[in-house]
Amino acid sequence: MAGLMMALLGLAWVIGGSLWLLARRRYALRQAPQFAMDLLGVPVDLAQRVFGRGGVPYALLLPNLLIFGFFTFLPMLLNIYVSMTGGSSIALFDRPFVGLQKFAELFDCESLLIPKTCTNAGYNFWTGMWNTLLFVLVQVPVMVAAAMVTALVVNRDIKGRGFWRAMFFYPVMLSPVVIANIWNWVLHRKGALNAVVGEAQGGLTALAGMAGFDIVMTVLLGIVLMVVTERALRAGEGPSLAWRAVFGGLFVLLAAWAQPLSLLGLPGSTLAGAVLAAGLLWCVANDRAARAALTLAAVLAAAMLLAIQFDAVFDFGRYRPTNWLVTPNTGWPFFWLVFVFCWSHMGFYMLILLAGLQAIPRDLYEAARMDATTPWRAFWRITLPLVMPTLTVVIVLSLIRSFQIFDEVYLLTGGGPGRETFMVVQNIYEVAFSSNNPDYGQAAAGSILMALVIAVFTFVQLWLTRRQSEL
Amino acid sequence: MSVARFLTRTAGNRETAQRFGLQDVLAYGYLVLGVLMILVPVLWTLFSSVKSETAVDSFDTRLLPLAQVTAEIEGEGKKPLWVLAEDGEERLVFKAGPTRKITEVSPLDDPDTVLEVPREQLSPHEELRIATENYLDPILKRNGQTTFDFFTYLWNSVFVTVAATLITLLINAMAAFALSKYRFRGRLTFTILIVATLLIPPSIILVSLFFVVWSFGIFGSLWGVIIPAAATPTGVFLLRQYMLTIPDELLEAARMDAASEWLIFWRIVMPLSLPALSVLAILSVIWRWNDFLWPLIVLISDPTKHTLQLGLTQFAGEFNSDFHYILAMTVVTLIPITLVFVWLQRFITTGIATTGLK
Repeated sequence: MAGLMMALLGLAWVIGGSLWLLARRRYALRQAPQFAMDLLGVPVDLAQRVFGRGGVPYALLLPNLLIFGFFTFLPMLLNIYVSMTGGSSIALFDRPFVGLQKFAELFDCESLLIPKTCTNAGYNFWTGMWNTLLFVLVQVPVMVAAAMVTALVVNRDIKGRGFWRAMFFYPVMLSPVVIANIWNWVLHRKGALNAVVGEAQGGLTALAGMAGFDIVMTVLLGIVLMVVTERALRAGEGPSLAWRAVFGGLFVLLAAWAQPLSLLGLPGSTLAGAVLAAGLLWCVANDRAARAALTLAAVLAAAMLLAIQFDAVFDFGRYRPTNWLVTPNTGWPFFWLVFVFCWSHMGFYMLILLAGLQAIPRDLYEAARMDATTPWRAFWRITLPLVMPTLTVVIVLSLIRSFQIFDEVYLLTGGGPGRETFMVVQNIYEVAFSSNNPDYGQAAAGSILMALVIAVFTFVQLWLTRRQSEL
Repeated sequence: MSVARFLTRTAGNRETAQRFGLQDVLAYGYLVLGVLMILVPVLWTLFSSVKSETAVDSFDTRLLPLAQVTAEIEGEGKKPLWVLAEDGEERLVFKAGPTRKITEVSPLDDPDTVLEVPREQLSPHEELRIATENYLDPILKRNGQTTFDFFTYLWNSVFVTVAATLITLLINAMAAFALSKYRFRGRLTFTILIVATLLIPPSIILVSLFFVVWSFGIFGSLWGVIIPAAATPTGVFLLRQYMLTIPDELLEAARMDAASEWLIFWRIVMPLSLPALSVLAILSVIWRWNDFLWPLIVLISDPTKHTLQLGLTQFAGEFNSDFHYILAMTVVTLIPITLVFVWLQRFITTGIATTGLK
């Protein structure tokens, strides 16, 4: 029926338009392209004929608004109607009106925070919702930070800039299916990652077994530590942020190996080391007792270095391959989802941030250099405030995008193991489209709740950055 | 000149020389690491896709496509060949019995004698062979690979991508032209309406869009994928921002010459906004070619309407163990978009970054 209407409309357009055009002017055969162009614009010309120039913009807007109206705004309103109907009929007016029953089903829980206490529908929905929220809260900061660092690096005066930028953008071009297949191949139990990790660990363990390895490693690392400390401490020549970053990295590494907290019977030395190193960097960056803090940290690092038995550090025992995407209660499936999502989407946000960075006038940095500002300070005081509008846009866009995560998860883990990576869009998809007894009402109710959550997040975000926002 | 200075010296004289500092080292280290992380999985898939079935099934992690040689043995059929290393001498053998600690093998040149040798002395006899059958079997439907209808999927994908991109470009440019070059009642309302759709995620209107598409009668046809996504707020916004920079005097001059508004749009505004149009074209091609969720809903029931992405998932689901075919078909789907990328990458990275896309 609709097809017939479309065909009739098309026919009227082509035949009527041709007649109209041919009546007004003659076309030579070689003017066929121009004729096609005129034919395409017949409605606009007609509008100009009938209503004058004032009618033209409406005619130009019409196709876009028709599609927006029918396929974006109408569905939004329809969502509310559908969420209040039951049954599994596809004919819109065949559906019995049930009021807010579908919402009540979703909210039929003792506690929303514990999906286990809900009925079946609520269990699936809230599991998906909390998983998605967790995913968004972890993924957005990680991705924005990675995109920012990458944008800063490729914005530097480096060789082959175009190549690096293009390479980081490349995964954006790949489809979710291809991405899922590639990473499935890498993360498979017998896949590339396990093979590489196993070989590396075997090699390190064998190396550590050689005589004198401890002494050689300690001496080597000691020399590196001395050089780095000297570089980071060097005064007068302008403090170097990069060397301090290297020092921080070294410090974290040493803490991870030496596990100083384990002497007290406590876990989490790596984290403690990272916190210490970050605090140190912050101290140094703000020039508060920088020399003292750095010297103290160097002494600590030296003590840890002497305490490490390197052959014990590199003895990983027999490595057993992990089933990255399948093993439950390890957090690995979730980690790899975040990783793969960042891998595939980071480039796009990097490009937007890059555009923002390039809009910052160069002479600001030159003036800062005249005043002997550290690069660290220049970043906080010049780069960040000026790139903030772009950053806000990036955060909002990536937030909205991450809420909709479906393809990669569905294809990589299918929501598993168990329901560990089950996302809310997958719940909507499964309820409405892949079950034998589709419950469109419940899926629509779920989408409305999801829209509310996204709206809240977006508005909080826009409100927090209201002074810098461009949206 | 010391070695260190020799290695770190740079162009320029003593005053203008830039030392290759630690910041540069860190920056290049980051770049190399990042590019490795992006390229290695892709290249790994590419290299694995040309390995033989046995190599893929046994997850051979070597880079080169080494395949065990088989030979036709009289009375035994096709047998894989092994190299027997004895006293520094190597002989080609095939297994005459089950693999045990002491395995029975027969030499290739003397198939009737049976030797008993320790298993450790045997190693597979391999040659470098590119397994083209991984690609050709599903594409040409050989060896029972009949479910993956490659050319239909390719055609559907190409049709959806090209048609949707053309429609998107045309109607978005028309809307952007109207919003940027005319003053009319409701201009601000329309602009805000269109930009507001930027904040409406497609997945929350999934269910009711399904109802709308169903009642339009385009459910299950390729048009059901093409039309709903044709009007993109991003496109209108991007083109509008660009068209605002085109001077109005050009349009006025054309109107003096009695050009119709459509002619102005087609002959003046469209050619002038070519940079923005090409960015939108590239984005639209990426979006449509990679689209998954909406085609999954609209087209899944009819295998002759599947796009390449859908075909690939169905295929991977059915042949979960046939990794060699899955990898090959993944590479096939990857190639067109990679070629587009290599061809347009300079344009993509500068274009998207400079047109101020939001």
